[in-house]
Amino acid sequence: MKPKTNDEKKKKLSPGRTASNNLFALRNIWRASPLYLAVYLGSSLLYGMLDFLSESYLLRRVVNGIDSGEDIRGIVRYVLVLGTVMLVCYLGMRLFWNLVSPIEQRKVGAYVEKLLFRQAAEVELACYEDPAFYDKYVKAMDEAYSRMMKVMYTLDNLIARVVALAANSALLFVIDPWLILFGLFPLLLGFFRRLANVARHDMESERKPINRRAAYVRRAFYQGEYAKEMRIGGMYTTLLRDLRETYADFRRVIRKHGLRRAIYGYIDVIGLEVVTILGATLYAVWSTMCVGSANGGMQVGDCIVVLGSIGTISYCLNNLLQNFAEFGEHALFLEDVRYFLDYEPAIRGGTEGVPSEGGEIAVRGLTFRYAGSEQDTLREIDFVWHHGERIALVGSNGSGKTTLVKLLLRLYDPCAGEITLDGRPIRDFSLAAYRGSFSTVFQDFKLLSLSVRDNILLRPAEEGDDARLEAALAESGAAARIARFSSGLDTILTREFDDRGENLSVGEQQKLSLARVFADDCPFVLLDEPSSALDPIAEYTMFENMMRATRGKSVIFISHRLSSAVLADRVIMMEDGRIAECGTHAELMEKDGKYAAMFRRQAENYLGSEVSVNG
Amino acid sequence: MAKRPKQKFFRILCNNAMMLGKIARYVPMYFVLMLAEGVIWGLLNSAQALFMFHLLNAVDGGGTFADALRIIAAMAAFYLLAYIFDKWYWCIQNPLMKQKLHLRMHEELFVKARSLDLACFDDPEFYNDFVWAMNESDNRAVAVIEDTGKLINRVVASSTLFGVLFTVDPIIAALLLFSYVIAVVFNLLANRVGFAHDKETNPLWRKKSYINRVYHLADYAKELRIRRADELLMREYDENTEKIKAADRKYGIRYFLSYGISYDLVGTVTFFALILYMLGQMESGLLAAGTFAASVTMVWRVRWFLTDLIDRLTKYAKHSLYIEKYREFMAFTPALQGEITEVPPFESLELRDVSFSYRFAAHPKYGFHEEDYTPPTVEGDGENVLRGVNLKITRGEKVAIVGYNGAGKTTLIKLIMRLYDPTEGTILYNGVDIRRYDPEAYRRQIGTVFQDFRIFAASVAENVMNGEYTSEDESRVLAALDAADFTEKLQTLEEGIQTHLTREFKETGTNLSGGEAQKIAIARVFARDYPIMIMDEPSSALDPVAEYNLNRSILDHTADKTVIFISHRLSTTRIADRIYMFDTGTLVESGSHEELLAREGKYAEMFRVQAEKYRLAETET
Repeated sequence: MKPKTNDEKKKKLSPGRTASNNLFALRNIWRASPLYLAVYLGSSLLYGMLDFLSESYLLRRVVNGIDSGEDIRGIVRYVLVLGTVMLVCYLGMRLFWNLVSPIEQRKVGAYVEKLLFRQAAEVELACYEDPAFYDKYVKAMDEAYSRMMKVMYTLDNLIARVVALAANSALLFVIDPWLILFGLFPLLLGFFRRLANVARHDMESERKPINRRAAYVRRAFYQGEYAKEMRIGGMYTTLLRDLRETYADFRRVIRKHGLRRAIYGYIDVIGLEVVTILGATLYAVWSTMCVGSANGGMQVGDCIVVLGSIGTISYCLNNLLQNFAEFGEHALFLEDVRYFLDYEPAIRGGTEGVPSEGGEIAVRGLTFRYAGSEQDTLREIDFVWHHGERIALVGSNGSGKTTLVKLLLRLYDPCAGEITLDGRPIRDFSLAAYRGSFSTVFQDFKLLSLSVRDNILLRPAEEGDDARLEAALAESGAAARIARFSSGLDTILTREFDDRGENLSVGEQQKLSLARVFADDCPFVLLDEPSSALDPIAEYTMFENMMRATRGKSVIFISHRLSSAVLADRVIMMEDGRIAECGTHAELMEKDGKYAAMFRRQAENYLGSEVSVNG
Repeated sequence: MAKRPKQKFFRILCNNAMMLGKIARYVPMYFVLMLAEGVIWGLLNSAQALFMFHLLNAVDGGGTFADALRIIAAMAAFYLLAYIFDKWYWCIQNPLMKQKLHLRMHEELFVKARSLDLACFDDPEFYNDFVWAMNESDNRAVAVIEDTGKLINRVVASSTLFGVLFTVDPIIAALLLFSYVIAVVFNLLANRVGFAHDKETNPLWRKKSYINRVYHLADYAKELRIRRADELLMREYDENTEKIKAADRKYGIRYFLSYGISYDLVGTVTFFALILYMLGQMESGLLAAGTFAASVTMVWRVRWFLTDLIDRLTKYAKHSLYIEKYREFMAFTPALQGEITEVPPFESLELRDVSFSYRFAAHPKYGFHEEDYTPPTVEGDGENVLRGVNLKITRGEKVAIVGYNGAGKTTLIKLIMRLYDPTEGTILYNGVDIRRYDPEAYRRQIGTVFQDFRIFAASVAENVMNGEYTSEDESRVLAALDAADFTEKLQTLEEGIQTHLTREFKETGTNLSGGEAQKIAIARVFARDYPIMIMDEPSSALDPVAEYNLNRSILDHTADKTVIFISHRLSTTRIADRIYMFDTGTLVESGSHEELLAREGKYAEMFRVQAEKYRLAETET
């Protein structure tokens, strides 16, 4: 395990990369909806101007106007024009926010998420096992859209601040250039703000692992899977102890960093509120009262503007710094998104099509090791899977059977050796065509919250599919259950989104997933313990049907129950990632090796003494 | 049109008050300080405006520079002090108290969660609320108290400012009040729109996040790759997006009408009307320029405080909805109870005419549903999973329960363990209805290996002892692990029985394979002296050799105990004294292996199907 957290803390992007990542976000929003981006950013310019005109400038215009004895009608005209313009702008923008913006926002969301989905379906399976990659991947999926929007919000903020800053600074400069110095003072305070932020970051990163533990305890209490165990044992006392410990840890972390945060934060805020704002106020009041406008001091209207503007300027400067910090943070998150989107899947297909009738698959010197594992899971596997041959893959837990299936499907590429189809390396074939020529049922297959039809086909339905589905369901033994559903093949599985959805038992789910094999017309069939959740009768019927339905196809099935191995043309017995024995059931029994021993032990329970004498 | 559930004002008040009361009880300091914070900041905020008011009057209205200086100095002193409290409170005290509140609430929730009937987990509506209560109610509590602090702040600040404006000119104050009332009305309308909108789109967002999950969970990764399932999901995603957009369009115009009128139209018009009014007053010499400027500044501030005040107030209605869920969850009383806590040593267990259906199983009574929840009516649901079952198990008996998938075997176990009560009939323990025993005490008599057992993120020893491990138990743990055939694996673990299992929150934890994990689950049963042991398909994740060893081991270790095996692999059942064969919820046959074979019934048929291939193969060799 790499010390991941340390790595991340040190990770800092160059200014160029930061800019590029933020631009990447804006580019994507632009592609999805140029209108949205343009109006959104344009509006902040508008709001910035309107705010200035209706606050500082308005006050100055009125007070100085009155003081200097200007005609009141001119002032009233200004107020009326400004009021009308503001009303029109506000209503217009409101129309945009309420009617256009949500739709455009969704467009952006869909654009970004589909980009991610496509890539997610592309990257190789090994990526899921690489914790560092997977972490980036999950973050990208969770964050991409909201992060991109945040880039836009930050930019929007930035524009509004810059407008306000420019307008107010110009005004102050006109009134008295010395005032700008007060406005710049908060920049010096940035040092303390930074220290306060460092303290906060330290605290949060120390809290992360504690959070994980607390979240686990919570899950254990509410997840249905734990519910039964929670009710029968004393495990909850341990979990409550864990909970108390996590909170003690939290409090320790808060105490450790809190004081630092408070002190630096205090210096920062006092510097701003007291030194800058009250200082400038004092200066303006002094200039108005003691120097007087006759001697080059400020007018009353100017003094009033200073009191308001100096606050606005410090606030904007403060925010501006924060905006830049935000861009840095966005860039870090987007780095993960880009890493994920730019990742070139290592398993790439060629261009060849796969012969529809299948062919001979040869496995030569196949060796494979999972990333991060210390030993090979498969070692120099050699065998030929003849066209139309049915092979039973047997062996104890952890002998590498499922891994071999995954390599045959090219969910992984081998570390050494190769797999060929009709003499051609399988990487020459198009990935979709190659995998598409297999019907596969995994041990840990998953059903989706979609209709029964979609779950079996796992592809968009076509004309004439329903007849095949009915037949497939009958073969897999799921027909009776499906027939009881009110909407038949259209019934949605699970009740996650549909109150009329159906929940299936594990055995029923397995039957349904087996129907996938019957419904497909694929030359190759891979079954990883297809019957583990089935009762003996269902298993028996299923196997019979399976053998009939797959006649002429090449089949590899994994089973713990060796009785089914008898049905195979050949048995491959695996042990510690190697092929230990290989041959027909009869040959292997004759050989009286490991397979025969295993078979006898299982048979003993059924056949009693007749066998155990030999075994 | 979607209607908002009628939430009486009184109820909103009650719910929020109840939550505040709870916080005041659990962490009194939090309650007090939060209120103090609201008042202090309210004063500070209005002081800022008052200060401006006096200062501008001093500058414009003929005060001396010394007066101005005094005002500025007073303000500086106020800031210096107020921020000491502010920083101490927000950086140290508040986070600490928040944690304390989280802890107290979680402890309470967890104890409650454990007492829930298992049936609650089957009811998706209840379950959703339950998960919400577990994850969110403490944050909601924090939101209630912190919003209250802010509310006090806004009330203090805006009323002080209102008072000042009133002394300047009552008409200004009246105009402002008028625009405020209109804003409140339209805001409430907008809230209703928002509520209806959320209600319509929530399921759509849930579906969107489901699709997201399928794409990023490793569980679905293989399925996504081998077929074209992603095309299906994309199709669903697009349809869903269109539905969300349609809802946004539908509600957009309503939002526009309410917010456009309250904020833009009324707000802007009032503001400029005020300016014009004051201009007139200045022209007639009734208002000084300084007072004008100070008043405008105050009007801005009051407007801001009041807008925020409305937003906060409307939040309470939302808080109330959630607190209501929380309250009902906390008030929920488990259906499974019993008064006898001393459970006598086991003699016999008898089922009399037991029928059971999940649908009517002590369905949690949960008031939150009443308004718009109609239980799904789906064919096949509510069917009896068990029908008229009669059987008796006596001490020391080895019993096998067999049958096809869906025969009701696992349900039977859940009833025996009293995780559910039967819909009809009774279960007797030593002749006493088990409903009379305290469920907790009763369940202690039974050690169970569930088919879907769980390994906890704790040490091996704690997992084996179900959490109650002390160093005195070491030998028991070792013996139990040995009986479960785990010793070989144990030797490869560096920290032995102290090894932390799973990587849920510890990177250095050990992940066990399915078979190894099952051995731990089995060791749990061996580690304690349970008079009754239940093995629900104990060998399903084991390979044949391990299965064989396990069966032997169970026989060796349970000589004097009552054991109930559930299996559809009949190989295990041969060691049973008595076999009960179930078929779609009914007990169809019972007897010893030999008796049932001789009977040539369903059991015999089932056994033969399994044995056949072995026999066939044997004769071939």
